[in-house]
Amino acid sequence: MEVLSNLAGGFVTCLTPYNILMAVLGAFLGTMVGILPGLGPSATMAIILPITFGMDPIPAMIMLTSLYMGAMYGGSTTSILVNVPGEASSVCTAIEGYQLARQGKAGTALGLSAIGSFFAGIFGMFALAFTASTLAEFSLKFGPAEVFCLVLMGMFTIIYVGGKDITKSLMSMVIGLGFGCVGTDMVEGKARFTYGVSELLDGIDFVILVMGTFGIAEVLESAEEFMKIEPMKVKLRELMPSFAEVWQCRWAILRGTLVGFCICVIPGSGPTIASFLSYGLEQTVSKHPEKFGTGVLEGVAGPESSNNAAVCGAFVPMFALGIPGSGATAVLLGGLILYGLKPGPLLFVEHPQFVWAVIASMFMGNVILIIMNLPMVPLFASLLRIPYSLVYPAILVICIVGAYAVASGLFEVGLMLVFAVCGYFMKKGGVPAAPMLMALIMGPMMEKNLYQALNLAHGNIFVFVQRPISATLLGIIVVMSIIAGSKRVKKARRGVEEEEE
Amino acid sequence: MRKADRIFAVIGLGLALWSYLESRKFRYVTEFTPGPGFFPFWVGLILALLSAYLLYDSYRREPSKQDEKKILPEQHALVRVAAILAMLFVATFVMKFLGFPLTLAVFTTAILFILEHYSIFKSIAYGIAYAAVTWFIFEYMMTMGFPKGFLGI
Repeated sequence: MEVLSNLAGGFVTCLTPYNILMAVLGAFLGTMVGILPGLGPSATMAIILPITFGMDPIPAMIMLTSLYMGAMYGGSTTSILVNVPGEASSVCTAIEGYQLARQGKAGTALGLSAIGSFFAGIFGMFALAFTASTLAEFSLKFGPAEVFCLVLMGMFTIIYVGGKDITKSLMSMVIGLGFGCVGTDMVEGKARFTYGVSELLDGIDFVILVMGTFGIAEVLESAEEFMKIEPMKVKLRELMPSFAEVWQCRWAILRGTLVGFCICVIPGSGPTIASFLSYGLEQTVSKHPEKFGTGVLEGVAGPESSNNAAVCGAFVPMFALGIPGSGATAVLLGGLILYGLKPGPLLFVEHPQFVWAVIASMFMGNVILIIMNLPMVPLFASLLRIPYSLVYPAILVICIVGAYAVASGLFEVGLMLVFAVCGYFMKKGGVPAAPMLMALIMGPMMEKNLYQALNLAHGNIFVFVQRPISATLLGIIVVMSIIAGSKRVKKARRGVEEEEE
Repeated sequence: MRKADRIFAVIGLGLALWSYLESRKFRYVTEFTPGPGFFPFWVGLILALLSAYLLYDSYRREPSKQDEKKILPEQHALVRVAAILAMLFVATFVMKFLGFPLTLAVFTTAILFILEHYSIFKSIAYGIAYAAVTWFIFEYMMTMGFPKGFLGI
């Protein structure tokens, strides 16, 4: 009951004209980003983040959350109409959705994906409210030793669950930890890796890293070729699926929602894995699995519900434990720090108004998105006719503005470009940038808690195994490492990788 | 991909060495807690081990479909990417002298005219439009304080 009353308070806070406007803006931008191939939600949030510096945390976070959800909604449009997934999590939608579009059922596929996404978003919001608050209450018992082990576990989970190549993901994480060392050390106040550059004394700002490695690197990759997209035409009256079609997909929507939420509570899993699992599940439970790939409604409804529920699931570790579950939530977590909030379990105690308003805004965001996505799909689809050659210079200009806004200096812009070069070649070499970003955010947190834990224990390094919670967390890390290192898992991982190719 | 792995492993080894050398400038431990050199030392050591493993694995493993994939795109695509990056670096460098709006206008015009083969008039029109919108939102409305050039804007 307490959760429901907190949620009601959240609705009171978020339902102001300004917050609603921010949610509409975020949903619009997110849908556009989802529709236009070449820029993911993480990159867009990173680009938008510096622009929100001057805003209050609540409207800023409402805008970013709506943007994230909008990208999931919008990703299906391009998948269905052009067979080009706007987001990685829409790949499964493209398989069935495009076939449906070729059969003249584009409107049905788009409508079903919007309805499934709406249901998943609303369910996910309630599940997030109950799960995150319970988990946060438990994690209030954590001291520095537990937090250190938790951060360590979070990083390992992200790599073992989400990374394609574990070695390269681990290397990316360690390099991120190295970036986290840049700046003034917290023990003796000495400058590390700064070489007399005063701009580096405060460390590397994560916005610079994320805009370089995610934002500009993604733009560069998309700008390699002249992109020309011709979407299929959809009429407004075709956009509502029949009641029989929705009823036919009811279990697929429910299954997708549950899979998406539960999977994404685990840090590192992300909407892409959730949608692939949901697609696989639909194929397994179907009476006609052989029809998959030819345009099956459940193959659209399941994965689309799944990737929307996944957005809410990824917020659980972020709000309750202060651990980002994905690249996108890492950006949001960085945003919390920039707004002067301290992520972690204390967020529910110190800033309840903020947390509950953001959770409640997800309901509002979903309502806005279904209104926007059902009747406005033809309009959004027409955006695909804007040549990418006109879009990417604008994105680059916004990146320059964003980097400049971080510290009002051109040094940061230059640093962002250096990271962009690194990010581009990392992409080409199959090295994920997300672990590096997460390590940059969590590295200083890890170092601080290690320092505090050892200080409190008078240098006793066994403090981590003597305390039950931290010992359990370390045990989980060991078990995860053994499982991830086993030959069977390695073989399965390689198989999935090749299938994705 | 094997070639990429080897290159990344060598870069990793270089970064590991750098981190190790940096760690030697500071104390490793204090009385009870890790010192400023602790984290860089372990970053260097773990990165060196992982890089060595990646290098070893790239020679040992059976070639997969991933390994047969080309790492870099065709030459013309690479030239486009290099040109965009070069223009971005030049724009950052000249911003102090030209000022923010003029730099953005020239940058956008250059991309559209040189890389995207728009006509010069269209390129200039888009360049001015992008710069004006950006300047209006971020400088006029949000007063972000961008560098001013010789024109005073």
